[in-house]
Amino acid sequence: MTKQLAFSVDIAKCTGCKACQIACKDKNNLPIGVRWRRVFQYEGGEWIKQDGQMIPGNVYAYTVSAACMHCENPICMDVCPAAAISKRADGIVLIDQDKCIGCRYCSWACPYGAPQFNEDLGVMTKCNMCVDLVDKGERPACVESCPYRAMDFGPLDELRQKHGIFAAPAPLPDSNLTRPSVVYRPNRVTKSSGDTSGKLKNLEEL
Amino acid sequence: MNIREWALLIFSILGQLAAGMLLVLLIVRAGVVRKVGVEKAAQLTNPPLYMVLLIMILALLASLFHLGKLAHVIGAVPNLGTSWLSREVVAAVAFVVVLAVYALLLWRKIGSEGLQSIIGWITALIGLFLVYCTGVVYLLPAQPAWNTLATPVTFFVTALLLGVLGAATALMLNYAKLQKKDAALQEFVKNTLQWIAVAAIILLGIEFLVLPIYLAYLSTQGTAALQTLNLLVGSYGATLALRLLLVFAGAGVLAAYLYLNASIAGQEKSLATLAYSAFALVLISEILGRFLFYATHFRIGV
Repeated sequence: MTKQLAFSVDIAKCTGCKACQIACKDKNNLPIGVRWRRVFQYEGGEWIKQDGQMIPGNVYAYTVSAACMHCENPICMDVCPAAAISKRADGIVLIDQDKCIGCRYCSWACPYGAPQFNEDLGVMTKCNMCVDLVDKGERPACVESCPYRAMDFGPLDELRQKHGIFAAPAPLPDSNLTRPSVVYRPNRVTKSSGDTSGKLKNLEEL
Repeated sequence: MNIREWALLIFSILGQLAAGMLLVLLIVRAGVVRKVGVEKAAQLTNPPLYMVLLIMILALLASLFHLGKLAHVIGAVPNLGTSWLSREVVAAVAFVVVLAVYALLLWRKIGSEGLQSIIGWITALIGLFLVYCTGVVYLLPAQPAWNTLATPVTFFVTALLLGVLGAATALMLNYAKLQKKDAALQEFVKNTLQWIAVAAIILLGIEFLVLPIYLAYLSTQGTAALQTLNLLVGSYGATLALRLLLVFAGAGVLAAYLYLNASIAGQEKSLATLAYSAFALVLISEILGRFLFYATHFRIGV
């Protein structure tokens, strides 16, 4: 197996502008409601009263850009009844749309919400790491579009050397479940998966 | 729930009804053969066994409505190595095919009673394996509301509960049409209804035991499971209460009456009515229960 490819996101640099999400929709021509890459806005803390005034106490907010994690253990692939999901030698997990029967079982199994049903096609679709671009030696559209250069792409071990091994910022799930191929560089307020001090604040956008 | 999810509900309920009914009817058939005779066994249990085939065909047809791309089903390669859903599909297809063979043997009177009964029991085992597969399909780590032993246990209880009462209903519908009813057959049918009633009451007890354990389990499994719990006791509280009330009325109260009335002479009409009503109430209750199963699950993560 050649080196597992992966995304990384620097949470300290991310402003939550969603250029990555839009670049993904544009590049992959996704219909309304299908978002292969999503940006989660996680907020917590509260205001405290001091000398009759409300001042922000431990208030925090940050954004997490996430797509398919092209996991080491892709549970979507294991559970697919039609063997329509495969993992390439470079670790990219792909749904074969000519094999998918549209049962949506993978969307129940994936804790990242990566496989999404395309009503027009009748099959499941998800981030393919812009495999056509990658095969030409280019980088995925989301990574290229980030105006803050918060995203990086490359072999997972190289990204880990550059950015660390953190893979589970809240609200994402515990990384032990599927071993995602991703690296997040946390900012000073980033909480870990399982945190209950904050909440997802942009549900209607997801 | 949308039409694709209703398809799953109908498939799983009918599939479990068929598996349970077949098992019960085979036990009944073995009893008639032993106590009354082979000819009467065929008269009493053949039409109900054909009904099982019909129910399973309907279940499979319903399951197709779940799919987004039906055209890809033809030629699909099953992923039997790792996918329980794949195993479930294969089990369901195998069940209906072997069931059809069994029904054909009965209908065309091919083979001896012994051979037929071997095929019948093999079919019943495939049916039970189907119920098991359907249960394991939902044991997904990302779905805490499903990822518990309660899921397969509940599915088996549903299969057996719908099975005993469905079999009683099918038997009584057919029995009403039978011409010559000798005393031995009458006695046998009453005894059958009695043990069916006892079985229904025991299964009801298991259902009422599993529910509080399940709710307690949900309260310990984190945010997604708590969302499920909140729905079950909140917005869907009335649905859950109605489900419990109906199953108690059908598998508890009516089953108790069925047991008592079956011990009194000359009550056949009322026995049939009791069996039909108990089945109808329990069927509605199980549909509501399965509705809650699909309507209240939350995935962990995002």
